[in-house]
Amino acid sequence: MENFKVVRQDSVDLTTLKIIGFLDAHTAPALEEAIQKLIDDQKVNILVDFKDLSYISSAGLGVFMGFIEEVRSRNGDIKMCSMSPKIYRVFDLLGFPTIYQIFDKQDEAAAMFPRKEPASSDE
Amino acid sequence: MKRLRNISLILPLTLLLGGVLIDLNLLGGLFDNVPLRYLREGFITLALILSLPIIYNQRWASDRNILRGLRSLFFLILGTFLLLLISDLEPFAAESISTGHNALYGSMITYFILTAWALFSTLFVLVILGTIRNLIFIKQKKNTALHFLLLMLVLVFYAILSVIKIGDLTIRFSYRLSSESIGYLLLFIVINLMVLNSFRVSWLSFLNRKQKLTVFWGGLILVPIEWLLYVKYHTSNPAALFSPVLGRFVDLGFLFLSIYISMAFVALIARLPTATLFDRQLKQLASLHTLSRAISSEFDLTKLADTTVDLALQVTEADSSWLTLADGQGGAWHLVAARNLTESEQSAGVPPPVAAWAVAPLQPKLLNQISKSPVHVAMSIWKRDVQSVIAVPLRSGEEAVGCLYVGKKIEYGFEQDDLDMLRAFSDQVVIAIRNARLVEASLVKERLEEELRIAHTAQMKLLPKEMPQLPGVAIEAVCITANEVGGDYYDFFRIDAHRLGLVIGDVSGKGASAAFIMAELKGIMEALAPQHDSPKTLLLAANETLYGNVDRNIFVSLIYGIIDVRDRRFRFCRAGQCPILLAAHDTPEVQVLEPHGMGLGLDSGANFAGAVEEMTVPLRQGDTLLFYTDGAIEARNPRGEEFTEIRLVTLFQRHQQLPPPEIIGHLIAEIDTFVDTAKSHDDLTFLVLKAV
Repeated sequence: MENFKVVRQDSVDLTTLKIIGFLDAHTAPALEEAIQKLIDDQKVNILVDFKDLSYISSAGLGVFMGFIEEVRSRNGDIKMCSMSPKIYRVFDLLGFPTIYQIFDKQDEAAAMFPRKEPASSDE
Repeated sequence: MKRLRNISLILPLTLLLGGVLIDLNLLGGLFDNVPLRYLREGFITLALILSLPIIYNQRWASDRNILRGLRSLFFLILGTFLLLLISDLEPFAAESISTGHNALYGSMITYFILTAWALFSTLFVLVILGTIRNLIFIKQKKNTALHFLLLMLVLVFYAILSVIKIGDLTIRFSYRLSSESIGYLLLFIVINLMVLNSFRVSWLSFLNRKQKLTVFWGGLILVPIEWLLYVKYHTSNPAALFSPVLGRFVDLGFLFLSIYISMAFVALIARLPTATLFDRQLKQLASLHTLSRAISSEFDLTKLADTTVDLALQVTEADSSWLTLADGQGGAWHLVAARNLTESEQSAGVPPPVAAWAVAPLQPKLLNQISKSPVHVAMSIWKRDVQSVIAVPLRSGEEAVGCLYVGKKIEYGFEQDDLDMLRAFSDQVVIAIRNARLVEASLVKERLEEELRIAHTAQMKLLPKEMPQLPGVAIEAVCITANEVGGDYYDFFRIDAHRLGLVIGDVSGKGASAAFIMAELKGIMEALAPQHDSPKTLLLAANETLYGNVDRNIFVSLIYGIIDVRDRRFRFCRAGQCPILLAAHDTPEVQVLEPHGMGLGLDSGANFAGAVEEMTVPLRQGDTLLFYTDGAIEARNPRGEEFTEIRLVTLFQRHQQLPPPEIIGHLIAEIDTFVDTAKSHDDLTFLVLKAV
């Protein structure tokens, strides 16, 4: 069985989830858990970095669908970046680019999240 | 503490000294009056009371060293008896009595000998009482401490009351009590308490058969001697001549000693012929057998844990018991079953220091005084009422997989036998737990396999059993399922004489849930196909139904198209599914037909309608369409490389001239060769449509 790993990086404006390895029906629960944790932590500006993902199955795609409504209802978003052409093709075939914003580079994606005012971060 | 102990020694001595000083005064006849005698008696009584802790600080006999305690008892009594024989006190007593007064009025030498005897015999009685107390307290029960304390209190009270009786000789109380009846009542209570306490001979069971025999022979000598000693001392009673209170106390102490020794001796004789040790081991073996049988037939881990704590509680007669198991990683200890633990104690779990102590060198531990142990603090915070505890690590090889505890509310509640029994028991528990876990694992596996088998059967039943026959086209489809059922699906719907609906798709996820959605999808398609002339309107309707009925993280990618053999064309929409490869009869290159599209169930409608595009291709003789699912291009070889669309296109181009079944045969054979020994992880479906 190939490995899958989620690495979380919190910054002021957003949280980046680096997903690494092989995302299928067996490993999808790990990603589900990670995103659920973010929502529980009130971190709804989520950027998923696909740079080191080697495979994604339909069950893996389903994870994002499972959370997008809730995240958006909390005024957050799930954005994606750095997909390999092969992975992007899977998303593209399914029509995901009309549902999600997908960027080539991480900083492009990060810039699309709203910045927090310094005053409001004091709360 | 140390200072306190010093005071408890110095105070009685000082008080006694006070008494003796008054004696010297009286001997000189200086201040011979009644108040002074009361004062003297008061001093001595106080000294006696303050000396009582000697009884409680005795260390001569413990559960580890019963024989040593018995030996000291034996030699003390024997020595005292000989001393009493030699010193022949009767003349002195007679002298005192003949003068009608107590020891004070005898000669100087009488006074000193009687005083020495009084003090010696008091000390003797205190030490003996202490030793007997230790014996009584071995494997104590709930009321043991109370009964003994009661005996001591009544003894002292009765002794103090005796002042009234001896008033005839020396001291007269100003008020008259009906001393006789109260005295007899008290004596009755004292003797009853003595007998009650004398039933506490559990220490006998600590002795093995050989030791019991030794004690038997010792007792044969000791019991008559002790009674002789009692009678002889009773008649002369030097302590009574020194002080009535002391005299009565010592006298009763001797009586209690005689009663206790005699009853213990009788109990010993009663146990001897039954060969107690053997008997006990047999009993132990029997209960162990019951335990093993009870737990080895239990495969449910939760029930097994419950049974274990129940049985542990029963066999050790403990007040509480609990069982912890290590989690998989061997990190934390989980409390899995408990008896007589409060809810908060259960939710708090065994404190880590206690758990660490319990399993530390993998040896079972018996702790009879928690208050004097290193886990005292942690234990008192967690469960205050436990005073004795046995902890038996459940060991599997060189590591502890759990720990079984039993606790009692009193100190010295357990004995070595309890520990041995639990140790043997714990070995059985380990085996039972291992079995239960294996059974559980295989049940889970079996259940999963069963679920997969059902899902697989369901999936196969949902696929059409034979290919549709339609003039002008040849159709062939093959679905190969992976070990774990994917969600590939294809189907055909006859619309009218010249039109046929065709669907090929993939439900997200795997296993039974995918098969279930697939069944739902089949129903939706069957219902919608006859109603819609346009693939797009059909998919819009299908999307709406599906979106409202499945979980958000489930979706379906498919292609739906309508083959029209009259107009010789194929109209289709791609809802997220892999594109169609077209090998036209007049073009050397394979074309990829990929109109815009979106998976079903992803969007409620607006985006979907905008995203899905309809496409029409002509079906001229020799045109061949290849439909496939992602399992085909994502098939992996042992090096982890995917088959890819490019390989598929090349391969299709090479074989497109062949009839559909042969094309598919070649494709599958190629992929098989490519995958080689690697395990496939997704379904794989091919559908070939050829215009003839």
